[in-house]
Amino acid sequence: MSALGGGAAGGEGINPVASVIALVIVLASVGIVFILYPAALIPLIGVIIGGVLISFGVHFVPVGGAPAAMGQAPGIATGVAMLAAGGGLAGLFGGAWAAGHGLWIALGAGAMGGGVLMAITCLMVNVVYVFEMGIPAASGKVDKDPITGDTYPAYRSQGTEGHGLPFISYVGGVLGGILAGTGGTLIYLQLLAVYQGAFASWVGITPEGVATLAVSLAGIFAVGMFLVAAVLTAYNITGTIEGPHDPKFKRWPRAVIGSSAACAACGLVAILLVVI
Amino acid sequence: MENLLFGIGISALAGALATVAGAAEDTESDIGSQGDPNSQVQLAPQMGYIHRIYNKAISGEPPAYGLWVALAAGIAWALMAIQYNAILALIVGSSVAVFVQGVYATTAYLGRTASLAKFEQPVYIDVLKSVTTVTMAHAFVAVFTTVTMCFLMIEALGHPFPLPLMGIVWGIALGAAGSATGNPFYGKERQYQNYPFGAGLPISASGDIVRYAEAGQRSSLDNGWFTSKGAGPASGICFGLIVFFELWRTVLFEPLVAGWGGVIAGAVLIIVFMVIDRFVETWARKTYGPYTKETEEEATT
Amino acid sequence: MAPKIEASAGGMEHGKMLAIGLIGALICIYLVYLNTLMSTQVFAFFGGLAAVIALWWGTDSIKKLCSYGLGTGVPSAGMIALGSGVVAMLFATKLAVISPLLVPIGCVVVAAILGAILGFISDKVLNMNIPVMTRMIAELTVVGSLTMLGFTAMVAGTFSFGSLILGSISVMGLAIPSYAASVIGGCVIATIFMLGAIAIQHPFNACLGPNESWDRTQMCALECGFLSMITVAIMSIVFLSFIAVVISFVVSIILWGWSYSELIKLSKRDAFAWLDVKPIREVGGEQ
Repeated sequence: MSALGGGAAGGEGINPVASVIALVIVLASVGIVFILYPAALIPLIGVIIGGVLISFGVHFVPVGGAPAAMGQAPGIATGVAMLAAGGGLAGLFGGAWAAGHGLWIALGAGAMGGGVLMAITCLMVNVVYVFEMGIPAASGKVDKDPITGDTYPAYRSQGTEGHGLPFISYVGGVLGGILAGTGGTLIYLQLLAVYQGAFASWVGITPEGVATLAVSLAGIFAVGMFLVAAVLTAYNITGTIEGPHDPKFKRWPRAVIGSSAACAACGLVAILLVVI
Repeated sequence: MENLLFGIGISALAGALATVAGAAEDTESDIGSQGDPNSQVQLAPQMGYIHRIYNKAISGEPPAYGLWVALAAGIAWALMAIQYNAILALIVGSSVAVFVQGVYATTAYLGRTASLAKFEQPVYIDVLKSVTTVTMAHAFVAVFTTVTMCFLMIEALGHPFPLPLMGIVWGIALGAAGSATGNPFYGKERQYQNYPFGAGLPISASGDIVRYAEAGQRSSLDNGWFTSKGAGPASGICFGLIVFFELWRTVLFEPLVAGWGGVIAGAVLIIVFMVIDRFVETWARKTYGPYTKETEEEATT
Repeated sequence: MAPKIEASAGGMEHGKMLAIGLIGALICIYLVYLNTLMSTQVFAFFGGLAAVIALWWGTDSIKKLCSYGLGTGVPSAGMIALGSGVVAMLFATKLAVISPLLVPIGCVVVAAILGAILGFISDKVLNMNIPVMTRMIAELTVVGSLTMLGFTAMVAGTFSFGSLILGSISVMGLAIPSYAASVIGGCVIATIFMLGAIAIQHPFNACLGPNESWDRTQMCALECGFLSMITVAIMSIVFLSFIAVVISFVVSIILWGWSYSELIKLSKRDAFAWLDVKPIREVGGEQ
């Protein structure tokens, strides 16, 4: 993002007490929905799974932040939450379009939407680095690419931590886009089903009205929850990450716990909207 | 058949609009100095390098473009709801969004620069006057094409999202694609063009940005010329490909294989792009070679 | 290498700002209810004022939070605030089924609970270990939801769910009810979402630096709020009578013009120098 970068706290390790409290929040949300509106039980679980997918997926996205913009560190030169949002919302676009074909096809369409966006973006990042700036890709965190076996130390230019998108980061970016796209689409589809079911029973509403309102509400809630899960994950990795080979990647369990609790709470409120 | 041809035509048109949008977006953000490379413009006075570069610190590009496009879409939607002509509504919506963008840009420049008084960085009013209008002009091109593209997706291709929601989705995607592709070119090649080509910037050199031009002092306006030589078109291709393939795979392949056609086409596309990326990467390694001699140990392990 | 983030000392105490922001915003939102009581629409602009007051308070909260350094940009805090705020706010509008007067208070309560959960997650589960985090994220979520509720009330002239989902389009002079032409059906909420998300983070993000000063940052917050009000007034043309739109628009333009000129004066006061067509002053560095 803008001029801010370093200076972050972000300790290692998991706080067991807090994690248990977070899991209690998840269970409490599920329990409340089960008592008040049992029809929405499966959708709420879907929303929580969506949050988990988003949060896990964002860890794969290679984001270098401000240093990447000067070729000082590998990764994509933008904010992690927003890059993931770009991929995830493109997935949401695809998934919402395919919603009429059923859950699995729509999820697949959402996954491919996010994946295609990240595949093209990551390719163009490397094209700019290689053909416009004459800089080959080199990872800063590992000396050897886990997939291709390329060696990196000799390809890091002096005084930098590496640059460009090595192949492992490229694969990470695509996987991240796929997971984030699936998660965003899952949240949207589950809320859509809840609202369509609930609004249809209202007196005097037209089928066209049900469709319009359900799409709008589910869409804006999916965008909101997507951003919540993505920003929480960005806090977890304190801004920058290189991909699945980065040591920070090991922090994913706590972001997954946190995002599931956040999405459970937000999803609960979103579902209670139709109860009162 | 006719429907299919119509759909593919709209996909191509949307892709073309997206290409223009991506190129204009990156050019705009480089002229105004927005996003991650702006950290260096902010840092330079602290290191003793007073400059005359614009400092448009309006969050990152993805949220900023999310607002401009969603705002243009919201106002266009409102005008269309009271029976305005669609084209006129899109133009008025984009104009209002660009007015908001211009005001945000001036407050960002004034705010950031005034807060740098400790390092003796003055506010240059002529910079404000000349650069703001140019970024607004580029932003208009980017916003208008994107919001028109969103309108086409809804009206011609039948996507269920309402226009403002579509604006958020594609505005953030536009900012993500443009900033990811364009930032390194501006950040390294433009701001640090006096450092060796073909290498990353040493971390110790941060803040020593280029402040003088061929004649006189560097104005941010020249960044438009520079960006249009490289990262601008690259961002355009990036966003154009994203939008085109996203629509094309759905329009053309979705009816096949009981609805799974679009998904399979997406997977094939991802693999194709992955192979191209691998080719680009190995081409660079072979052609440019390592910076230092690879030691035997590294080569064998 | 990123510049250090420093928050200015001085200015009004945060607790006092919280009180002014919360009470002021609630009062202004309740004033919009006069529309329903007096069967008119001219009080819609009070919704915008509520949003501006909330933003004024939220700017200070974001400053307190971000002065610790989150590892990612200031904007992310705005996105999380509005992302959870929109959920709380739309839920609260549904409380109008019980009583419309419950909506603003319900909005604050639900947002505070959601925000506290999110703050707890970021602080403890994610191990950020920032002392003010739980409180500030909770405050920001309340600000985000109040901002959205305010702008929604301004665009629609009301804040009850029933009126937000049903608009009307006029075909040859006849008003036909339409769900697609409503605040929620047309997703004007999405535009309001982004207006709030940028306006809440911009003032501190734009003014940060070693010489950041409290009154200038807060004036920038007012300016961002009034600027957003102008655009909301334009969008309200779908839902409100012509006279109500004109009142909203004129109020926003006047207040924005005032705050913008004040902001320029304050920037002039704080700037090291205010130069027109002058060269770079060399102070060191490159010799």
